[in-house]
Amino acid sequence: MSEKNVFCYLMVAPALVITLILGIYPMIRSMVMSFRSYDLLNQDKNGWVGLDNYRQVMADDRFVQTINQTVVFTFVAIFFVVVIALFLAQVINAEFRGRAVLRTLIFTPWFVPPVVASAIWIWLLNANVSPINHFLLEAGVIERKIRFLTDSDTWGPFSIPMMSIIAVRVWNGLPIAIVFILAGLQSIPKSLYEAADMDGAGTFSKFFHVTLPLLRPVLLVLLALFFMNGFGHFEMNYVMTGGGPRNLTNVLAVWTYQEGFQFLRFDRAAAAGGIVLMMTSVVAVLYIWLQAKDVRK
Amino acid sequence: MTPISRILCTTSLTAALTLGSAAQAEIEFWTMPYGDQIAWKDTIDGLLEGFTAETGIEVTHETVPWGNAFQTYLTIAQGGAAPDCADMYWLHSFSAIGGENYGPLPITEYADRLDLDSFYEGALTDVTYLDEIYGIPWRGDIRAILYRTDAAEEAGLSGPPTTWDETVAAAKAMHVADENGNVDRWGYAFGTSNVVSWLMPLYWQAGGEFMSEDGTTATIDNQAMRDALTFMHDMVHVHRVVDIDSFEKGYEMLPLFVDGQIALIGSAEQSWGKRLDAEYPDAEGTWAMAPSAAGPEDADSFSGAGYFGVLRGTEQVEECVSLLEYLSQNESILALSQGSGNVATKPAVMQSEFWSDRPWKQVVAVALEDAHTSQHAAPSWSAIATSEPGGIIFDLIYNTVVLQEDMDAEIATAQELMQGELDR
Repeated sequence: MSEKNVFCYLMVAPALVITLILGIYPMIRSMVMSFRSYDLLNQDKNGWVGLDNYRQVMADDRFVQTINQTVVFTFVAIFFVVVIALFLAQVINAEFRGRAVLRTLIFTPWFVPPVVASAIWIWLLNANVSPINHFLLEAGVIERKIRFLTDSDTWGPFSIPMMSIIAVRVWNGLPIAIVFILAGLQSIPKSLYEAADMDGAGTFSKFFHVTLPLLRPVLLVLLALFFMNGFGHFEMNYVMTGGGPRNLTNVLAVWTYQEGFQFLRFDRAAAAGGIVLMMTSVVAVLYIWLQAKDVRK
Repeated sequence: MTPISRILCTTSLTAALTLGSAAQAEIEFWTMPYGDQIAWKDTIDGLLEGFTAETGIEVTHETVPWGNAFQTYLTIAQGGAAPDCADMYWLHSFSAIGGENYGPLPITEYADRLDLDSFYEGALTDVTYLDEIYGIPWRGDIRAILYRTDAAEEAGLSGPPTTWDETVAAAKAMHVADENGNVDRWGYAFGTSNVVSWLMPLYWQAGGEFMSEDGTTATIDNQAMRDALTFMHDMVHVHRVVDIDSFEKGYEMLPLFVDGQIALIGSAEQSWGKRLDAEYPDAEGTWAMAPSAAGPEDADSFSGAGYFGVLRGTEQVEECVSLLEYLSQNESILALSQGSGNVATKPAVMQSEFWSDRPWKQVVAVALEDAHTSQHAAPSWSAIATSEPGGIIFDLIYNTVVLQEDMDAEIATAQELMQGELDR
């Protein structure tokens, strides 16, 4: 092994050790736990149970509903984040007076921790005191207060509380997406746009034939990160609604937490964690495959 | 031996002795914060300074935020880092989880040093598990009616309700809504943000008990449960005086009450009296407390509790018991209740001037006579009573009251599930 390689391994070693201790080891322990009975209140009966925990959680209607919602939450939130970020990144990439102010405003949600953001939005969306409701009522747009976080009417998999939380997650996730896309936009050579102009391409044509293809590597990374983060998202759903009303805003991470820390069934919580791991693994494998494909090209 | 060697030897010996005695006389003590955090820290620091001055035992105090208190004690009961002694709760669950290795340590052999006879008998049930004593009950949480006197006056009421029927009448009289159904003032709210704690006093008031005394048999499939749930259901759907959103997470009663959007809270924490005094002085004269209204059987009030106890694994049991002994004195219990806003656990302290200088405090003292502990002698009670979707009692309330599912079927299901949990 060359001296340079040794140096590289030494530099990577601390991060690797931390990842192994705080990431890989607990993950393996959790996976092992998902195949065992692990009831905190009855530890005498703890032992291997094979796939029983997985069968139990999959037989729970609330859990199946929670999986579906996790997928819907993740796809819808990511769709809106990416679409809006693509638009806003183009706007703040242009040069105009007041760009700095606009950038600051757009990046503001980044400075707000998700738990704090949730607390602020709980107040903004509380039916009784919501300034949004107050404004809409005063303007005559609505006659009855909207129950943003508590209305249990549904339209297919959608409900007002779910859409409210998605809106907050989009608001909170936008800045990071914009930073990624902005970096991607600034790496596209201007000469390509000049060439497209000379060929008579319009705004949309340039976007679809120059911008979007060249942003593909950035968007891939962004989507992979967002999907993995989305399947394991916890804070906002837990703080804002705790999964209610009627389990309509529950997601896998919240369900797992409740099962482990409220009902003291760490085995079933570990099985739910195993399912989250499988979902994120699919995304990770897909991402690696696409990356490898790009490299081969 | 040269003079220098002698000095070095003497110094080393003195240092070793000093370190040895210091190690023996140091304990780590954790509490959760109560009310104003700075005031709470001052209270604890003051008490601990007094204890150190009296005994020479140094105490390191650490505050565990309520947000992760449950996880912290769950970790301790699983063998995680633990202090020597601490402010604890859910004795039955954590004792069962920790077994004989971790978690709360029984200190029955030291009980005669703790003057346990001077505490309320009910409070002692919260420090007793399988006939063993685990510490001193230092705080109580008694619930009572909290109502807007201005709304009552406006509605022509002569006083707070004393029965369920009067509660319905008072709530309807104080409820204000416009023609579109937008409510300006809800006539009634059940209680704190813990939905399960709303049902408990109503069920007791209707004559029910959640389980047998030994904690082995679920006893919720009965007429008392039907009466309690019917009362809750009717307040929401028949009389329409309760905001159905209050069953969801994030619904804060107290700010709405102060803002005049809620007229009457049936089971309000007594510490809200202290908060109203401290945080909303402008609201003075617009609110009052009253003892819980009586149901078909009695007027039981929800009562929670916490205790100071010792943790397994400590080598400082003797020092910890000395601390508990010090904290169990009337002066200490009074200081703790003054600092935290929690009800004192000793009748002698509740008769002090501090607990009678405001009308709401006098009500709290009266409410204590009808206190019913919220703790039950079953390790799985904390899981059964979890106020989250999926919790047995929570789902029973939510399904029957909010979703209006068939009450008999829901109660039967809950009874079966609860028995399964007790058999865990």
